[in-house]
Amino acid sequence: MAVSVTAEAKPQAPVAWRHRHLIDLDVVTWPEIELIMRTTAEMKGVLARPIRKVPALMGRRVTTLFYEASTRTRVSFETAARNLSADVVSVAPATSSVTKGESLVDTIRTLEALGAEILVMRHSVSGAPYLAAEIFGGHILNGGDGWHAHPTQALLDLYTMREHLPGGDLRGRKVVIVGDVLHSRVARSNIWSLTAAGADLWLCGPATLLRGFERWAGAWSAGTIPGHGRFNVTSDVDAAIRDADVVMALRIQRERMESGLLPSLREYAARFGLNAERVSLAKPEAIVMHPGPMNEGVEIAPDVAISGRAVITEQVTNGVAVRMALLYLLAGTHVEGHTEIIR
Amino acid sequence: MSASGTGLGPRVGETVERFELEKAWLVDPVSGREGAGEIVVVDGVLESVNWLEGDEAAGVDDRGVVVAPGFLDLHVHFREPGFEDAETVASGCAAAAHGGFTAVALMANTSPALDEPGVLERIRLAARASGSPVEVHAYGAVSAARGGEQLSAMGELADAGVLGFSDDGAPVKTGRLLRSALIYAGMLGRPIVEHAEDTDLTAGAEAHEGYVASVLGLAGWPAAAEANAISRDIAILADALGDEPRARLHLTHVSTAAGLELVRRAQASGLPVTCDVTPHHLAFMDEWIAGSRRWAWEALGPDGAARDPWADGVLTATPYNTSLRVNPPLATAPDAAACLAALIDGTASAVATDHAPHTTVDKEVEFGRASNGISGIETALGVLLALVDAGKLPLVRAIAALTSGPASVVTGWAGNAGSAAARPRGLVEGAPADLVVFDRSDSWQVSEGSLRSKGKNSPLLGRLLPGRVLLTIAAGRLAYEDPQAGED
Repeated sequence: MAVSVTAEAKPQAPVAWRHRHLIDLDVVTWPEIELIMRTTAEMKGVLARPIRKVPALMGRRVTTLFYEASTRTRVSFETAARNLSADVVSVAPATSSVTKGESLVDTIRTLEALGAEILVMRHSVSGAPYLAAEIFGGHILNGGDGWHAHPTQALLDLYTMREHLPGGDLRGRKVVIVGDVLHSRVARSNIWSLTAAGADLWLCGPATLLRGFERWAGAWSAGTIPGHGRFNVTSDVDAAIRDADVVMALRIQRERMESGLLPSLREYAARFGLNAERVSLAKPEAIVMHPGPMNEGVEIAPDVAISGRAVITEQVTNGVAVRMALLYLLAGTHVEGHTEIIR
Repeated sequence: MSASGTGLGPRVGETVERFELEKAWLVDPVSGREGAGEIVVVDGVLESVNWLEGDEAAGVDDRGVVVAPGFLDLHVHFREPGFEDAETVASGCAAAAHGGFTAVALMANTSPALDEPGVLERIRLAARASGSPVEVHAYGAVSAARGGEQLSAMGELADAGVLGFSDDGAPVKTGRLLRSALIYAGMLGRPIVEHAEDTDLTAGAEAHEGYVASVLGLAGWPAAAEANAISRDIAILADALGDEPRARLHLTHVSTAAGLELVRRAQASGLPVTCDVTPHHLAFMDEWIAGSRRWAWEALGPDGAARDPWADGVLTATPYNTSLRVNPPLATAPDAAACLAALIDGTASAVATDHAPHTTVDKEVEFGRASNGISGIETALGVLLALVDAGKLPLVRAIAALTSGPASVVTGWAGNAGSAAARPRGLVEGAPADLVVFDRSDSWQVSEGSLRSKGKNSPLLGRLLPGRVLLTIAAGRLAYEDPQAGED
């Protein structure tokens, strides 16, 4: 398509973007992830300008449909779309006919009839965007579905890690994700991207919040998954963090105690929370990440969250750039005449 | 097929005046005999069954046209009364006949529930009005309104002719009620047919707990949920037998290796417990939710463990297809292998379809919000023939699982001695013709158009299945005829 960010910023893409939708990273190859990373770098260039706006998506219609409350992710997507000069429509199901019992399928058909071209969708049920993709004529960009996937978060995490690692190379770098892995779409998407990047990935948390991941790690331990390496699962937080290059905390939700998975937040903070002492086990130059929103004093101590190691606000900025890159790549994918890949 | 009866003339429901089939492969699961033969039906009666020997049998093998007794399905949902947009007795009977079934047993989770004889009468009227000769049997609910508190009108229901009692869709809610139900139903010569699920363990669960559910972010349904419920049911049966020796327990749709092993041990200790397995738990797996469509027996590694669908690159279909949402959930390749082993060693007496049609309104939704169930009565034969084609199950055993097997289960329930459902289901000369003719050399495509059921919720849509059903005759009357028959 005939759009360009600027002459010098136009992506030089040896790899063509061939995905109609971005729902999960399981079908995105490493060269494609690198394309996203390069495009993100160019978008960061746009964000560094006094006027953070380019006409790349002028006249294109981006709709955000968030079935779960999320201020930061929705604002990030909408900022990204506006930076590209797209027209943005924001659908908040709490004030729409969804509360009158309208099905997801009807909602998607209605939004398409109203002209939605790119639909950014967040939903509480795993797999919901695949249902939307079955019927939507445009592009679906997954803003998080259930426990399943949050690909833009994993990509902004990857971008942020690459900015802090020499040569932007994660191969052999120890990345540890600590927290409620079981219920985390962030962890799941990060498994796909970080095992593709060649990182030495460790998932860590209380055993009740790792259920099933031992089996997943076991299945991948033979190294038989094309394009993806193995990863580790442990409840030994000190062993996981020791000599890590990246330490990422996941949000712990209060419901986990109500459903009998954890004794108390206090006990979680004591055993798994990222405090200064624990983080000091990591490499001196290690970075600390969090996808937000944080429960300070639970999964991360306040002093760690504002320490020099923390790159949490960088993640937020990079999130806008990654989402600009993905909107740009998806908008350039013609529905006709390209290989349609939904999965 | 060399049938002089092509273009039979009769319409569905009419007596088959004359039908002759020469040189077909006959399967009689009661005698265990199979071989080349001929049959003649006159005025609805199976006039002759002629086994061919020597030269006469030349050129006939079990890969072509097969004649078998009509199938009996111990577990179907025909949704009437209450959910007629999903299925009716008439559409269900048409689907059954298309699948080769001449008798079905309806579950009681209708609206209102089948908890008193009036509802049964309504179903029988609908069956009669449909014109279909498919025998419609039914289970009564265990509890009033399936509420799990009080017993249903069990005695009146037994007098009206229910085969047994089930709160299927859910387990009998409490151990206390199950104990009473086993004893009271035992007094009536009827079984409790139990959907074994520990609903506390499965609250909020979406898919079999394991590798696939972990990757897909679906809430895990632990295998312990079935094993725990079966343990309860067997322990209570053992206890109830002390009070009522005629107490009987039938566990339907057992789906896990652990659950089947518990049944096997209970049978070995002499307890009167039987079970059935479904075609979908024999052939499909949790990895289908991720987009795989290989048969379960193709996903077993040489060590008997499940192969990895991601490593094998077999994820071709769109993930989270809601036609795969079923209770109990699809499990792993080793669990499917355990279902097959149970069928072969006799732990499972029957294949029952748990035919569970749903509307698109209930299925075209997010995976975790979709209704449970697979529309499966029309694809059961094809799935079992795929097992036969793969060399995993002898043809006569596949047929037995649909005929003499379920009949033997019903025979074990003393109160049904006079019921048509308790017929042994062999090829018996002089009896009303009750049979299915299918062609193993021909396949058919499962599609919304080819399924007679109103429920199009089949994960096999678009797939070719072996074994086209050419003709189904129930009680001497035409139940189904392939629309293409006689057009050659």
